[in-house]
Amino acid sequence: MMIQIIKKQCLMIWRNPAQLFLLIGLPIVFILILGTALNQFFEGETMRIQTKIAIIEHNSELEQADKFIQEMGKEAGLKKEQVASLKENLPIQRLKSLFYSKELSDTIDIKEVSEDEKDEILHDNTYSAIIEVPEDFTYTYLAHMIKHKKKIPQLRVIGNEQQQISVEFIQGIIENFQRQLTLSVFMSENKLDEQAMNIPASLFANNRTTMDQHEPISAKSYYTVGMAVMNALFVASTIGIIGFREKETFVFNRIILANVSRWIYFSGVLLSTVIFAFLQLLIIFSFSWLVFKVTWPNLFAFFLITIAFSMAVGGIAVLLTAISYRMHTERITNFFSSAIVAIMALIGGSFFPIGDSSEVVRKISELTPNGAGMVAYLSTLRGNDITDVSMSVIYLCLFGVIMIILAAFTFPKRGETM
Amino acid sequence: MLELVNISKRFKQKYAVKSMNMLIERGEIVGLLGPNGAGKSTAISIMSSLVEPTEGDVYFKGQSILKKPESLRKVAGIVPQEIALYTDLTAEENLQFFGRIYHLKGAKLKERMDDVLETIGLTDRRKEVVKKFSGGMKRRLNIGVALLHEPELLIMDEPTVGIDAQSRNYILETVRRLNEEKNVTILYTSHYMEEVEYLCDRIYIMDQGNLIAAGTKEEIKRILSGEKTIVIKADRITESFINEFKTHPLINGMNVEEKQVSIMVAKEVNMFADIIKLADKASLELNSVNVKTPTLEDVFLHLTGRALRD
Ligand SMILES: Nc1ncnc2c1ncn2[C@@H]1O[C@H](COP(=O)(O)OP(=O)(O)OP(=O)(O)O)[C@@H](O)[C@H]1O
Ligand SMILES: [Mg+2]
Repeated sequence: MMIQIIKKQCLMIWRNPAQLFLLIGLPIVFILILGTALNQFFEGETMRIQTKIAIIEHNSELEQADKFIQEMGKEAGLKKEQVASLKENLPIQRLKSLFYSKELSDTIDIKEVSEDEKDEILHDNTYSAIIEVPEDFTYTYLAHMIKHKKKIPQLRVIGNEQQQISVEFIQGIIENFQRQLTLSVFMSENKLDEQAMNIPASLFANNRTTMDQHEPISAKSYYTVGMAVMNALFVASTIGIIGFREKETFVFNRIILANVSRWIYFSGVLLSTVIFAFLQLLIIFSFSWLVFKVTWPNLFAFFLITIAFSMAVGGIAVLLTAISYRMHTERITNFFSSAIVAIMALIGGSFFPIGDSSEVVRKISELTPNGAGMVAYLSTLRGNDITDVSMSVIYLCLFGVIMIILAAFTFPKRGETM
Repeated sequence: MLELVNISKRFKQKYAVKSMNMLIERGEIVGLLGPNGAGKSTAISIMSSLVEPTEGDVYFKGQSILKKPESLRKVAGIVPQEIALYTDLTAEENLQFFGRIYHLKGAKLKERMDDVLETIGLTDRRKEVVKKFSGGMKRRLNIGVALLHEPELLIMDEPTVGIDAQSRNYILETVRRLNEEKNVTILYTSHYMEEVEYLCDRIYIMDQGNLIAAGTKEEIKRILSGEKTIVIKADRITESFINEFKTHPLINGMNVEEKQVSIMVAKEVNMFADIIKLADKASLELNSVNVKTPTLEDVFLHLTGRALRD
């Protein structure tokens, strides 16, 4: 019985070429336009992080080291080689060479500036962050490590609020660096390694994962995902309208009078939406694969996300249908397709990476089903592992289920006024 | 076969149907007559198990359909007042879909579709989308869909509303044939008196949610045995002329049309002198004055003081 309803839904959509074009042709046109027009913007700024930072040292690290060796060297019984090795592995020096390294210098442009310039840089929007090395940082550090005196000093990162992603990126590096310092102290305290200061390899290793998450995404890939998830929402309103027309023209009554349970009808609406959304997404993504070469490193993850997202769309469709049945008007569905979809698309990031602007916006963005879908798709496109999208997939399924439950409660039961 | 016992349906404060009783026997054509808003469609929704009544119960073959609508639904065909079709699909696709949800398939479905298309005279238009059909063709298909599963009971809600005379006659003939040839029991709703008079054995008349008369055609006409109808024709009818009649103590009912006024009076009353005097007073030129035997239309006029159609 449900098959008949799904078949009929297919026929209805098929008989409506204008609708079909809106659902499949239009997103493709949008991808073509946006993907081409905004390519520059993407390659240039947003996706590939080009970060400029400043580092301020309050006094020379080398002088601090000399001072420490003069004051405490004898007392600590440091040998000549040890003094040399210590001087070669001074912490700030290591940090700087990390930023100048082949791996990071492409992305990060570091300027060593004096204290007097701090104010000026704070107001210069081209800087993403300032790393401030407190006075006598190295002296304190050495004292802690060798003489077990004083606390481990902390580096300060002052971030530019408007460049959230870059700031997080820098903070990640600094936190890692700080952790390495603590670890080396711990190791030297426990005499695990005479050369405790020399553990830079893992520092790089860790930073690479941070960088991987921000593999550049082309504008075409971005808008393929953005437009696909946005237009899938229109499947929900299209089905919602078909459903309401069935009630209005008394066709729904005919179905009920044929002794078909309203829950079979309900499930038919749900399932047909899931199928349509799935096919629509598949067609759009196939198109961008063939034309724009947007390829999916992990097809399994791709299908998983697509199914979960289609379920969320199905949930929206039955909720719209149920509300319009109960309220005896299709206004809610029209409002959804004319206003709510646009708002959701904007918040979800279909038009530009809105989540980059701030953490709060990013969280809200991921609460919309299309936003959650986008995050998952983009993450997969960047080559991330399937585990990285599992939260989004679970969220989408959950969203779908909640919509379905709400719809079931709203849908008029037998005997209620038609 | 189908029995309504003390059915009421209230929407908010307003009763659409009030304490209605009705009985339809196997093989009958029963007419349900009433003006706009009388409650006919509401009554039909209740007796076809679509809407639950506020009070009362409906029995099909002795079983309440409120609890178990299945037995009725399997053998009843409902023709809704509105065109309940997928207008984007073809006639054939509509029949196919509705046939399938009645569990028809394969050769049986094809046979039924061919038969129905033949019955409603749409065989050569089967591949056209319903959108492009004329009003009469849509009405015919609307009936056809209800015939697919060979119903024992056919409930028709104003199946001839808003169509040309030719299509209307075709539908009336079809209904009659279904009853005679296939022994289908039919409830026929209309506000056209002549349709009901032509088709039905027994008639129920409704007004403002109440049944105001019930019985065979003859029984109902007998309500008027003590009355007669006088039809007055003139080139034009003026307001003052009508007002004179409205206040006339001997007139029981009146129906005004463009160039004619029908009045109802007791059989023994002689109105001719009065009519001529009043026409003079309103300076009207009379074309004719006739006495006619009562019709169902007149019964309605008598019962409600209003015409069936405005
Ligand atoms: N769902 C509803 N909610 C509120 N009032 C209703 C509803 N359905 C019908 N009514 C009211 O009940 C009354 C009877 O309506 P119904 O449609 O049964 O009349 P009808 O005899 O079929 O009229 P028509 O000849 O115009 O089809 C009307 O006054 C109508 O306004
Ligand atoms: Mg009606």
